[in-house]
Amino acid sequence: MDKKHQTISHLLARWRGWIQAGAALLTNLHLPNFFKGSLYQGAGKTVCVPGLNCYSCPAASGACPIGAFQAVVGSSKFRFSYYITGFLILLGVLLGRFICGFLCPFGWFQELLHKIPTKKLSTKKLKPLTYLKYAVLLVMVVLLPAFLVNDVGMGDPFFCKYLCPQGVLEGAIPLSLANSGIRAALGKLFTWKLGILLAVVALSVVFYRPFCKWLCPLGAFYALFNRVSLFQMKVDENKCVSCGKCARACKMDVDVTKTPNHTECIRCGMCVSACPTGAVSFRYGFGDGKQNINIEENTEEST
Amino acid sequence: MKMKKLTALLLATLMVLSLAACGAKGDSKTENSGDTAQTEEAAATHKSLMDRENEILSENTELWEKVFLAADKGMAMIEDGKNYGDFLLDTIESAKDQFSDEEYALLKKSAQEISEIENKLTELEKQHPEILNEETDANGDVQKFPSFEGKDLDGNEVKSDELFSANAVTVVNFWFTTCSPCVGELGELDALNKELADKGGALIGVNAFTLDGDETAIADAKDVLAKKGATYQNVYFDSSSPAGAFTANIFAFPTTYVVDRNGNIVGEPIVGAITEKNQAETLQSLIDQAIAADAG
Repeated sequence: MDKKHQTISHLLARWRGWIQAGAALLTNLHLPNFFKGSLYQGAGKTVCVPGLNCYSCPAASGACPIGAFQAVVGSSKFRFSYYITGFLILLGVLLGRFICGFLCPFGWFQELLHKIPTKKLSTKKLKPLTYLKYAVLLVMVVLLPAFLVNDVGMGDPFFCKYLCPQGVLEGAIPLSLANSGIRAALGKLFTWKLGILLAVVALSVVFYRPFCKWLCPLGAFYALFNRVSLFQMKVDENKCVSCGKCARACKMDVDVTKTPNHTECIRCGMCVSACPTGAVSFRYGFGDGKQNINIEENTEEST
Repeated sequence: MKMKKLTALLLATLMVLSLAACGAKGDSKTENSGDTAQTEEAAATHKSLMDRENEILSENTELWEKVFLAADKGMAMIEDGKNYGDFLLDTIESAKDQFSDEEYALLKKSAQEISEIENKLTELEKQHPEILNEETDANGDVQKFPSFEGKDLDGNEVKSDELFSANAVTVVNFWFTTCSPCVGELGELDALNKELADKGGALIGVNAFTLDGDETAIADAKDVLAKKGATYQNVYFDSSSPAGAFTANIFAFPTTYVVDRNGNIVGEPIVGAITEKNQAETLQSLIDQAIAADAG
């Protein structure tokens, strides 16, 4: 049984690129809209997709959870979006940052850019920046849209409006190419966000997933659930030979043997593939990891 | 065992995606999507029919030119509503002696096909009047603002024909209540309406949430309008009407159209708030254009 489990973990890790491609396609099914320069506005848009995928992408089949959250919070009627928060908590518990590693189109986009052969730089020394994304989540997604309001009680979707590069990539660029009215409406904000997008693109080539690590509020939300998520990493201590290959293979700067459910772990499975003894695997479900959690907590305290 | 768990996980994800709902936007639009799809299909058929007709006319150009020449000389021009194919048939018939039997047979067959295409086109245009708009738009010709019979938010009847013909220029602003940039420009739009009143123009708002006369939406919209001190007329109509379909196709708010006295749209719509300086300038030039055309 154990052996079979290994195989599934390895398979998942090996086929990750294809799963990412499939997820990106499923979240953006309405491809002909790219040419029409219009948006799909059907029932699918009342549902959120799991990853960061702009509502205003012509092909988008659903709404972006971060965008939808801000839209509700920013409206004059509501201060908080229980519906979307509940949905995100559910996804967080079911999958955690597995969504980042496997389902998010913008994560995939950054990974593809990282495949461009250049000198790659480590982000280990930039660790403090990883806390920035929690600030983005709290300030730009929750607080500012809810409390910085105009005279009729409406807030702006600050993250979407001022920061989100995915909105430029999927929304502004294709829409303005196909739609002259929108092209005419582009202004300073577009220039600013295009700058952010270009910066993320450039950084993605040399760093692995810079946006996910430092800025993504959705990743920050799911990160908080990594510890309680049903989808976890498991290290079989009997098999582990402490060679450290997993930590070196990890591009999110996590040592899976010490902190298997680290907030930065996106469940990409690079450590699973790297492990020479098959000690690292994915685990899904309740139970059987309890003693591991204790060990993990102890180690964290000692470090 | 583990395989089962993973399958369960995948199924759970699927279920979550299909069941959970968390949209704030879009809800108001959902009911129109069926219509839009139908319209798109009709527009596609319409286009392919038009293409076929053009194809027929572009084969054997020389022969057709002869026909057209004959038409210019002898025939009465096409009356409104008369089938173009039938017109061609008549022309061919009258200029029969200019063609060989073979040519005559070919022309007649082609003209008959055109006649059939024209009938189908007319039928389509009747069922989906909005496809004509899309087409003329693509060709850069005049585009009619879809006519509507609706009400303003106080329940007074508003007919587009009467509204447009009573004003040298009508500015139509599409917005919705929870759209922050839309609400942000309400004050300026009100000022613009007052300014237009002196020039024989008017500004009206169309709140996408209020279509079909949704009472809560109307109350919300009125509330926001009152808070922003906007006193100009806001109208709504059935979402199933041509104007309703037109509204459903707008996905960027606010969008502002300028309409002349004949109900034709002037220039391109302005997408985005007119609080931006260059947008306001574009709008003003369209208004001036409409007023100048009306005076001249």
